[in-house]
Amino acid sequence: MNNLLNELHQTAARQATRRHFLHTCSTGLGAMALSSLLGGCGFFDRAGQPPATAPGPPADPTAARPSPRIAKAKQVIYIHMAGSPSQLELFDYKPELVKYNGKDCPQALLTGKKFAFIRGTPKMLGPQGKFAQHGQSGAWVSDYLPHLQGAVDDISFLKAMHTDQFNHAPAQLLMHTGNARLGRPSLGSWVTYGLGTENDNLPGFVVLASGGKQPDAGKSIWGSGFLPSVYQGVQCRTDGDPVLYASDPAGMSRNIRQQTIDAITELNRQQYADVNDPEILTRIAQYELAFRMQLSVPDAMDIKSEPAYVLDSYGVDPARGSFARNCLLARRLVERGVRFVQLFDWGWDTHGTSADGSIDIGLKTKCRETDRPVAALLADLKQRGLLDETLVVWGGEFGRTPMQENRDGQTLPFMGRDHHLDAFTVWLAGGGVKAGYTHGATDDIGYYGVTDKTHVHDLQATILHLLGFDHTKLTYQFQGRPFRLTDVAGKVITPILA
Amino acid sequence: MTLRWIGIGLAAIGLVLTLSGFPGLFGTRVDYNTQIKPLLNKHCIACHGGVKKAGDFSLLFEQEALAPAKSGRRAIVPGDAAGSELIRRLTLTDPDERMPLDHPPLSDDEIDLLRTWIDQGAAWGNHWAYQSVERPALPAIGTLWSRLGLFDSDESRWARTDIDHFVLEKLRSTGLTPSPEADRATLFRRVAFDLTGLPPAEAAVNRFVHDTRPNAYERLVDSLLAHPAYGERWAGMWLDLARYADTKGYERDGGRTIWRYRDWLINAFNQDKPFDQFTVEQLAGDLLPGPHGGLPTDDQLIATGFHRNTMTNDEGGTQDEEFRTAALLDRVNTTWDVWQGTTFACVQCHSHPYDPFRHEEYYKYLAFFNNTRDEDVVSDTPTLRFYKPADSLKLVSLTQFVATRSATAARDLTRFARLVEPKINSHDFDQLVNASLLDAKYFGFQHRGSARVRGVTLTNRPRLLVAWGTNASDAVVTIRQDSLNGRVLATVPVPRTGNAWNDTIQLIPLPALTGRHHLYLSLNSPKTPKEWVLIKWVSAQPRLPDQPVMAPGPQEKQLLALLNADPDQTPVLLDGQGDLARPTHVFERGNWLVKGARVTPDVPRSMPPLSADQPRNRLGLARWLVSRQNPLTARVVVNRIWEQLFGTGLVETVEDMGTQGIPPTHRELLDYLAVDLMEVDHWHLKKLLKRLVLSATYRQQSSVTPALLARDPYNKLLARGPRVRLPAEAVRDQALAVSGLLSPKQGGPSVMPLQPDGIWQSPYDGASWKQSLGDDAHRRALYTYWKRTAPYPSMITFDSPSREFCQSRRIRTNTPLQALVTLNDPVYLEAARQLAQHMAQRGQTPRQQLAAGFRRLLFRNPTPGRLAVLDRLYRQAEAYYRQHPAETRALVDCLDPSPQLAALTVSANTLLNLDEVLTKE
Repeated sequence: MNNLLNELHQTAARQATRRHFLHTCSTGLGAMALSSLLGGCGFFDRAGQPPATAPGPPADPTAARPSPRIAKAKQVIYIHMAGSPSQLELFDYKPELVKYNGKDCPQALLTGKKFAFIRGTPKMLGPQGKFAQHGQSGAWVSDYLPHLQGAVDDISFLKAMHTDQFNHAPAQLLMHTGNARLGRPSLGSWVTYGLGTENDNLPGFVVLASGGKQPDAGKSIWGSGFLPSVYQGVQCRTDGDPVLYASDPAGMSRNIRQQTIDAITELNRQQYADVNDPEILTRIAQYELAFRMQLSVPDAMDIKSEPAYVLDSYGVDPARGSFARNCLLARRLVERGVRFVQLFDWGWDTHGTSADGSIDIGLKTKCRETDRPVAALLADLKQRGLLDETLVVWGGEFGRTPMQENRDGQTLPFMGRDHHLDAFTVWLAGGGVKAGYTHGATDDIGYYGVTDKTHVHDLQATILHLLGFDHTKLTYQFQGRPFRLTDVAGKVITPILA
Repeated sequence: MTLRWIGIGLAAIGLVLTLSGFPGLFGTRVDYNTQIKPLLNKHCIACHGGVKKAGDFSLLFEQEALAPAKSGRRAIVPGDAAGSELIRRLTLTDPDERMPLDHPPLSDDEIDLLRTWIDQGAAWGNHWAYQSVERPALPAIGTLWSRLGLFDSDESRWARTDIDHFVLEKLRSTGLTPSPEADRATLFRRVAFDLTGLPPAEAAVNRFVHDTRPNAYERLVDSLLAHPAYGERWAGMWLDLARYADTKGYERDGGRTIWRYRDWLINAFNQDKPFDQFTVEQLAGDLLPGPHGGLPTDDQLIATGFHRNTMTNDEGGTQDEEFRTAALLDRVNTTWDVWQGTTFACVQCHSHPYDPFRHEEYYKYLAFFNNTRDEDVVSDTPTLRFYKPADSLKLVSLTQFVATRSATAARDLTRFARLVEPKINSHDFDQLVNASLLDAKYFGFQHRGSARVRGVTLTNRPRLLVAWGTNASDAVVTIRQDSLNGRVLATVPVPRTGNAWNDTIQLIPLPALTGRHHLYLSLNSPKTPKEWVLIKWVSAQPRLPDQPVMAPGPQEKQLLALLNADPDQTPVLLDGQGDLARPTHVFERGNWLVKGARVTPDVPRSMPPLSADQPRNRLGLARWLVSRQNPLTARVVVNRIWEQLFGTGLVETVEDMGTQGIPPTHRELLDYLAVDLMEVDHWHLKKLLKRLVLSATYRQQSSVTPALLARDPYNKLLARGPRVRLPAEAVRDQALAVSGLLSPKQGGPSVMPLQPDGIWQSPYDGASWKQSLGDDAHRRALYTYWKRTAPYPSMITFDSPSREFCQSRRIRTNTPLQALVTLNDPVYLEAARQLAQHMAQRGQTPRQQLAAGFRRLLFRNPTPGRLAVLDRLYRQAEAYYRQHPAETRALVDCLDPSPQLAALTVSANTLLNLDEVLTKE
């Protein structure tokens, strides 16, 4: 049954010729060894459940697998603005808030609430961007994002998102692993666990970070938690060697390296025959992937082959790692069959403590750096016919308050907003998402969602749905019970499905 | 034959008895801990727990659960399930009323269980890990069964120590049998890595393999425990817990000199300092009484570096108090993580969601730590100063001079000279006029600027020491009493140090005063009015004996010279006294700026109380942690050590023994070992380790049959030995050791081995990676300079944490990036080259040389199949390099490049990447 499904899937893949051309369909010795050893072992039964006993990786743990249900999206580009952009400056237009600008925040909004930094009674702060409606859909976008204004008809906005965590690291963990504590698999890990990768020569889950820092929660937000470690995200550097130690040592030719890998594989295979530890099979697969990555990663990350007009459209300076370059790389990677590309851009935490961390200066700069590449990415994907099957998600880990932050009860030197968990905006595009649509609304000052509120778990359930999974069935048996990304919650946001 | 039938009959009876003992069947009692608490945690406590108390109803504490809720109804009426609102709400059909709201209903079985439990009286239980540790009975093995002719005496023959009894008991209940002992070479390699973090030498393995003495293995274990590398290996583990790093963290992440703490750890492990003492010194070494009422020993002070590894934030615009508080919270959380295996951090904002800790209890605990003098100051003060030998001698003679006149004065002098405390950091100055905290760090003022130093006790303290500097010429500071127009106490020219940030320490004589006074500082600097005068700290000190009243005397000048010397320093904990003691308040909802009720130091009520004869400070707390009554510490220690050897703890969640943690696989064994550790071994970890590694359980071979793998994929039942990838440090140390590169040098400042360019991005302090030379290029991994924002890449790739916070457990991964490290990292290539040189000298033929390389790593001859693979690779490589002399030179990089050596280098590179080499088998 599984073989049949695989075959069907491969046929489908062959038909997608353009992309197929970019995938080098080599199957390593390790994969063959694995298949022969565990060949009969199906990865999923029809209900989408992993086999009852899954001590080690199934036959070729990263082989592409069809999703259990018909899927609109085949891959994901998730753009996370670490630190959390202000929805009130970008998407959630609140003319009422203009009126309250500079007035004391009503006590009713403060009682029983906790904030990361706001103390006492803060002042309300009106929106800093100039808003207008755009496109056929009439979506509100401010002048902070002039390029995105032209793309709104491809986008579904979730305007009444909410979360449970108001500090960066736990909120990022919740957003990416479904749980605010360390140790759960990330969204990208779940997806590659469920679907494998369509390019044997690249990791199925690639992480690209920009903005000068890693996100606060560190590599746990692309970790594989209790899933086998083959599913964790692989971070590629955007400066210098894309992956550290990817180049062979001086004097070591590709041919010799191939022979050493073959020898390592064969010796490890003999060891596996002696001791049966499935971790050895994972190692065999990882060495073969490493060998292939040595060529394919630099190739995928090398944007020299891109024509100048493409570089221009993204605003890429080829000499410099940047968010823009990461957007272009994201397109190159999904084009090559990478299942999940996670972009993190640091520097969106705009409290008003410094010019960089303000909503009137720093946020504008961040928008200027990222607006054009994001719009270009959507256009580029669309033009290549990839947007239909590529889900693009954009968001932060929480929202920002309609009040001006008054850290330590003092007026801060710059305009800023504190962390806010009750209202923020996330948008999705492509991959089976309704184009030109807005879902959910907040109250007059953007403090609470009032209609069609959506929680982080709902977003996760929806992403999995678009990839062809019932989020309650994509589970992994761990410590005696099935775990899933959405824990015990999550409802698919059906109104945004195309 | 007859005996066997009887045996089977007895087994059948045993089975019936076991079943009848199974809770829930045959109407036996429902157990709160194992049956009810998991249900409540899973379905209810998110809304009715320590965080949310929907409808004023919580299931966290018994009294809350039994009390009437907001509705006036009692959710749980013990003995009356039918009258309990809880059961009614669980069984309703109206989705607006039925619990859990918006979630699937509980199953009938689950509701029945709750019903039975309430009808039986709703007896509450205490989670196992919070109950005091008692020694469980040692399970009998072999005897009964062998008497009955079943399993004969395999069990008693296999078992070597008490540990094995517990393991066998569990295996027996699942029908599994243990594995035989690993072969000697494998066992030696395993135990050597576990105890010393290094592979054994080939010759030592050969000796052990041929050692026929009955206690050969025990002797081996003893020698490994006595090896100096032992301390390095276990210090390495502790460094993750101590979140040790050579930088301060956060955005600027500047350097911090605290390696003496790391060396203290190595020595403490090597000396087998009992864990109770080890604990007390790290948490409260500064509060231990020193000889003759003086300072504690240097070692005891250095030990307190444990909690000085918290991050400090030097970023401009940050508030020192905010980050002092952050460090303080981290100390509380880390103490719980490390000693109590409990996630206490959530109690900072609210009562624990699942475990029996109340919100205010967090702050009572925090009060133990809130009194230390460190305040997120750039200089990392307070530090212990290590004077250079000449200065040390001067300090001794100065102290002797004072001691002959006053013993107390001599003690104070020593304290001040070694610790420069007590002092007031200038970020505490207030009423600033024409003044500012420069870069949010130190107080600075310009011409006509002023500030107040609040409440300084001046009784018998007529010496004001000031650390200051300026580039202004002829700047003069006037010090007044109690107001800007008050009595002038002193008028002092500020020494021109060229740059306000270069400070020098001066002594300003003050008139004799009594009581506490505010000191007002005002600056007159008309010549260069824009130049800043920067003050780092001030301190009111007594006059040394026999010094003039209104001018620094000769001995005071000697003291100043010492204070202005530039000795090595290491951060320490030190409690503030008197004016400098801090009150502690609850932070409302975890917010450090909203202070609630004032609290005094105490431990949570659900734990045993502090002993009345102990001080209510860190010292009392540390002793409480290692008291026999503390239910967690010994269990946590045993579990942690177990995890290090077996790869997985008896409680897998080493970081969480609470109700959300994973239940122990062998709870009785854990308790048994915990009691042994406290009562028999008196906290000596070497004894615990010896117990563990001498067990038959530990010595089992680690290979597995497919059948056993299917039954027990994660080896929870311990029917085989551990097979675990080596930790990051050992992967590197092994490569250096087998290639002969590893330096045996111990201790000292951290080193900077080979690292690719561009890893460090330090835009602020311009710090750079300066590659260490000589021995220091090849030190053990734990000596590698640890920059928090840019840790050594191969360490991170092999799962080291970044050391920003305490991490109890490294989650092992297996990734292609690891393969790239051991294949291509220049460090590993260098190791391969060196290993190839050894191999070349160890045989005439390539096959002999390859076998020698294999033996050097794995201490056995390669099988013909393996040798054939290596030989083929060698021949391919040799043929290639014969054709490519330039490549040969590039690869082997030595005076005498040959195709043979290149082929051996390729072979060595291959050997260093084998799964069994990277794995502890």
